[in-house]
Amino acid sequence: MSNPLHAAHYADSARQCRVAIAENVQVARDTYRVRLHCEEIAGRILPGQFVMVRLSGCNDPLLGRPLAVYDVVPDAAGHALDLIYHVKGRFTTRLARCERGQPLDLWGPLGNGFPVLPCTHLVMVAGGVGQTPFLTLAKEHLGRQQFGAPPRSVVPVPRVTLCFGAQSHEFMAGIADFEAQGVDVRLATEDGSAGQRGLVTELLEQILAAAPSTGSATALRVVCCGPEAMMRTAAQIAARYQVPCLVSLETPMACGIGICFTCVAKIRQKSGWDYKRTCVEGPVFDARDVCW
Amino acid sequence: MTNLPAQNSDLDLRVRLGRLELANPILVASGTFGYAREMEHLVDLRSLGAVIPKTVTAEPRCGNPPWRTVETASGLLNSIGLDNDGIEAFVAHHLPYLRETGTRVIVSIAGRNPEEYVQLAARLESAGGVDGLELNVSCPNVAGGIDFGTDPDQCGKLVAAVRRACSLPLLAKLTPNVTRIAVVAQAAAQGGADAVSVINTLLGMAVDWRRRRPVLGNVLGGLSGPAIKPVALRCVYQVAQAVAVPVVGIGGIATIDDVLEFLVAGASAVQIGTANYYDPTVSQRLVAALPAALAEAGVRRVVDLVGTLNTDN
Ligand SMILES: Cc1cc2nc3c(=O)[nH]c(=O)nc-3n(C[C@H](O)[C@H](O)[C@H](O)COP(=O)(O)OP(=O)(O)OC[C@H]3O[C@@H](n4cnc5c(N)ncnc54)[C@H](O)[C@@H]3O)c2cc1C
Ligand SMILES: Cc1cc2nc3c(=O)[nH]c(=O)nc-3n(C[C@H](O)[C@H](O)[C@H](O)COP(=O)(O)O)c2cc1C
Ligand code: FES
Repeated sequence: MSNPLHAAHYADSARQCRVAIAENVQVARDTYRVRLHCEEIAGRILPGQFVMVRLSGCNDPLLGRPLAVYDVVPDAAGHALDLIYHVKGRFTTRLARCERGQPLDLWGPLGNGFPVLPCTHLVMVAGGVGQTPFLTLAKEHLGRQQFGAPPRSVVPVPRVTLCFGAQSHEFMAGIADFEAQGVDVRLATEDGSAGQRGLVTELLEQILAAAPSTGSATALRVVCCGPEAMMRTAAQIAARYQVPCLVSLETPMACGIGICFTCVAKIRQKSGWDYKRTCVEGPVFDARDVCW
Repeated sequence: MTNLPAQNSDLDLRVRLGRLELANPILVASGTFGYAREMEHLVDLRSLGAVIPKTVTAEPRCGNPPWRTVETASGLLNSIGLDNDGIEAFVAHHLPYLRETGTRVIVSIAGRNPEEYVQLAARLESAGGVDGLELNVSCPNVAGGIDFGTDPDQCGKLVAAVRRACSLPLLAKLTPNVTRIAVVAQAAAQGGADAVSVINTLLGMAVDWRRRRPVLGNVLGGLSGPAIKPVALRCVYQVAQAVAVPVVGIGGIATIDDVLEFLVAGASAVQIGTANYYDPTVSQRLVAALPAALAEAGVRRVVDLVGTLNTDN
């Protein structure tokens, strides 16, 4: 950090585009996948980065909404971008009703994304729609697909596990996508409708407790995305087993590009803490640096 | 555009804010464009009339606790609270970059008292590379900040004190949260402001009745975006009638029609604020759209549009 005022990652490769929805399909309860042919963004985005999305020419909702890249799939022009969204409020309710051809404004790729994580076992912990940043990360770390321009190379990791928790099975989108890549998928539901009844963090605890070599720096890596309480608990568990843990924060955002100072999170500094902009300094942070 | 008049090169986009000449009337508003570095890859900074980075204070301020913004009907409510790293960090880290952008840089400053404004102004003048100062006397999100903007007498004295301490062109940015904004504008002009910027955000709030809590961490916040455009136009109109100095229009501007509405109502230039958030390349596109709009209006020069509103019945 040579210059403490300059974000680690500006929107340096971001482009603003207007693209028509190519596909908008339901993939789970209240959950949809939208496909956008947008080589400018899809061809360059990295796992854990996000885009801001907005209905073109519409002032209500006014602001863009952040959505993580879920997948990058080949299309005639190069690559299409897949996003998965859970219907929550004003924007996502309207997006779910949009048909093919509806124009959207998007800008990205944004945020730092995940770094390459050399290890023997990558454990991804997701709650709610927190699985969205992990499909590309899993594909990359299993040597199935490269992302970014120029494509980022990753030494394949022998084992990738997704611990996925939700209220109920019907909300869980994309399980088959992960399994198709060779990800070891473990489920936890609050109502017991799939996998283990209980919290996803209990799955993490079980994996770390059973792992032979925790504490050795490169063996295990944990990445986590979901509700804040879940991430905090996951971070505590990882710390207890001395396993490095990254979290992808979902702070509310207004611009996504570092100009409004909405998205701040309390991040530990050499002395004390400071508010850091999640959109340009994150959304991925070392769990130890976050003041929960 | 193909239907541009052949004498396109005769078009004159230049505007004057007192002693400050700008290449065109499209500026970006303080607090809505970061420190410009953030926008370097989305916007050709040199295309803009001027860049106004986020307001700088004497000491670092960490700003207000989240939630800091909430969307409202066609608007945005914010209580950022002048989150910034203080003047010394600004001069050391942001100013060198801003100077190199090749565009005009107007630095926005806020102090807790006139002495702080004076100190900030003197520091920036001596640092060099600053084309003008905008005195933020109107931030609704910090205690004390608002007094200078609501009391004409204090506002005039503040501007006069800064005027004496530095020779840079001065803009006074006014709050709409007063009964008669024109009176405050007159005081600022008498104090020696080269121009007045109108308006900062409108004080507002949002309530989460289920939790019986205010939505914003700071309870109250400033409203911006398309929702405030009619209020901003009214303020620009009233101020332009009352003062001889140029008026810079701000508030909900997002389209080229918005820009021309403000010019006709009396603004010599405009600042783009919240629209930068939801349409990051908008400022540059507005500059590009100006020639065709002038052609449609039947004028060659931007200045020929300013204040041309006809209110005769
Ligand atoms: C980096 C990042 C990546 C994300 N990726 C995904 C993804 O891949 N898929 C996905 O489904 N979601 C993702 N999200 C979350 C997503 O952005 C939100 O769910 C979305 O913005 C909701 O928009 P809306 O208009 O539908 O809801 P809104 O109407 O904006 O509100 C939804 C809910 O959030 C609450 N809320 C509103 N404003 C605020 C605020 N200022 N602070 C806190 N809470 C607020 C409201 O009370 C409401 O309950 C991501 C968020 C971030 C930051
Ligand atoms: C999130 C946010 C932060 C702002 N910060 C500042 C600031 O630091 N200094 C300032 O003078 N104005 C600030 N403003 C006010 C804007 O510059 C502008 O006056 C106001 O938003 C109205 O214009 P708009 O409707 O185009 O956004 C801020 C506005 C917003 C929305
Ligand atoms: S969302 Fe605007 S600064 Fe991060």
